[in-house]
Amino acid sequence: MAEKQTVDVEKKTPAASPPTGIQVIAREFAKDKLAMTSLLFLIVLITVIYVWSFLIDQEQLMRISLRDQMAAPGEKYWLGADKGGRDILGQLIIGARNSITIAISVTLITGIIGIAIGLITGYFGGWIDNIFMRIIDFFITIPSLMIIIVFISIVPKYTVVTFVLIMSVFLWVGTARLVRSKALSESRRDYINASKTMGTSDGVIIFKEMMPNLSSILIVEMTLNFAGNVGLETGLSYLGFGLPPSTPSLGTLVAYANDPFILENAWWNWLPASLLILLLMLAINYVGQAIRRSADARQRLG
Amino acid sequence: MNNASELLTISDLHTGFSIKDTYYNAVDGVSLTLRKNEILAIVGESGCGKSTLATSIIGLHNSNKTRVIGEIKFKDLNLANLSEDKMNKVRGNDIGMIFQDPLSALNPLMRIGDQIEESLVYHTDLNQEQRKARVLELLAQVGIPNPTRTARQFPHQLSGGMRQRVIIAIAIACKPAIIIADEPTTALDVTIQAQILDLLIELQKETGAGIILITHDLGVVAEVAHRVAVMYAGQVIEEAPVNELFNNPKHPYTRSLLNSIPQANSNAERLQVIQGLVPSLINLPREGCRFAPRIPWIPAEAHEAQPALHEVAPGHLVRCTCWKHFYFQSEDEMGGIVE
Repeated sequence: MAEKQTVDVEKKTPAASPPTGIQVIAREFAKDKLAMTSLLFLIVLITVIYVWSFLIDQEQLMRISLRDQMAAPGEKYWLGADKGGRDILGQLIIGARNSITIAISVTLITGIIGIAIGLITGYFGGWIDNIFMRIIDFFITIPSLMIIIVFISIVPKYTVVTFVLIMSVFLWVGTARLVRSKALSESRRDYINASKTMGTSDGVIIFKEMMPNLSSILIVEMTLNFAGNVGLETGLSYLGFGLPPSTPSLGTLVAYANDPFILENAWWNWLPASLLILLLMLAINYVGQAIRRSADARQRLG
Repeated sequence: MNNASELLTISDLHTGFSIKDTYYNAVDGVSLTLRKNEILAIVGESGCGKSTLATSIIGLHNSNKTRVIGEIKFKDLNLANLSEDKMNKVRGNDIGMIFQDPLSALNPLMRIGDQIEESLVYHTDLNQEQRKARVLELLAQVGIPNPTRTARQFPHQLSGGMRQRVIIAIAIACKPAIIIADEPTTALDVTIQAQILDLLIELQKETGAGIILITHDLGVVAEVAHRVAVMYAGQVIEEAPVNELFNNPKHPYTRSLLNSIPQANSNAERLQVIQGLVPSLINLPREGCRFAPRIPWIPAEAHEAQPALHEVAPGHLVRCTCWKHFYFQSEDEMGGIVE
């Protein structure tokens, strides 16, 4: 889809109407090779990870096999094995899938809540705005990382779902604040007033008329949040406050490097996961920046 | 004219804005009547309350910070204290509004056709096909050469005059009884202005709607209006049929306004101005004649203590009695009082 449109733009058909949003983004990616590579890399990586993870039996993967302890990369294990003789490659795939799934869910949940609250408070202003902004101030002042850690240590049996929810509780505030500030100025525009004079209801104005005009900001915010959430999840898992130990995550793989012996002698235990995190974050950021640029005519390359 | 033709009756309307917990009235005791088939112009300087009056009628104020007291009678409704739900039924359907800046009044991400269709969706029970047909009909009615193509375009693809035509098409979509035009030609250049005004007059004749035309351009008023209300500092200070007002202006403010229009055939080197500024909302004089501070050479006894509107000729109302004693200052006298 994206590629087809790029071709259309390059042909430069005469009397063409000004490019639409998708065309602008496509052109920006065509111009920025790094962003294009990142985008393709992300698509391929995520597809491979999700398809491959279906083929792996997690229980068998996590079974300890002392004969293969610290096996070096080779025929049997492409990326070697860890202290318990478990395949690193399989853990990497499952771990990456878990990390990305969690990051996507958190991004979507916080995005939907943050955008809805931001748009509503910004549009109505007044006491609604006041109440929500005080709640947001409260969430920003409390040390959220500490509370997530405490929560995870207290709750006896937590799953992926509880982990996602507890992260979402604290992460919607940033999006809400950003969206609110944009909605505040957007809702004072004449076209919103004009729409009111037609008798359009507030809900329709907020979500069908105001939101599309903020879409560029929303897309950028969600993309960069996604990168941030991958980082946060792996960080928590690294510290041991992420998923349960039986469920691999990119963070738990990196945490193998805490053991100086492994750090020195078994690079295959921690290096692949670290590299994957690095590449993933870089790629998401490059894509996000390209989208951000295409939202602002002055920064565009294409 | 009899009462039956009255469309909208505003009586003793006060619209106040809250500044530091005190309400200051930007519209202060305005009473006006709009009749069928009539173009009523409201004229005045910036900040005299013209637009506030318009937004009060259509209820666009932020209810947290604004207070509307008085009566705006339309059919059997009082628009001044109508609930938001009921107001939404009136807006668009019975009252259409034309905005000043045609670019910012259109949603940049919606196709022209969809924007015109919007009020049809809420106020009519036409099905989608009928609505599409009505949109094309409206675009043709406001003089857009290629309606089918324009309906599919976005606002930034149209010129200023075309955009204003689209805005007018939106305002008349549901055949409203009243159209409020808030400086509809200010953002346009002169040739387009004339076209848009002609269009307004033509539409008004076709539909029989009453139009409230808010403007500061006396040329526009002379061209299209039937009746004129001159506003100053939140009050109507003179109201008259258009010919009467231009031929026989009474109130010092109206006379000064007319006097300050530059004449192409005069050799005067200086433009005529009105001394001073419109007082800000907070410093508005609440007692006596509000125009008095700007004509200090007129003795205080000439003004009324509580200026009221007096009928000086049939349909010609003037506030305060100072007009009887008003004369223009000669140029050498003017030097002395410049602040």
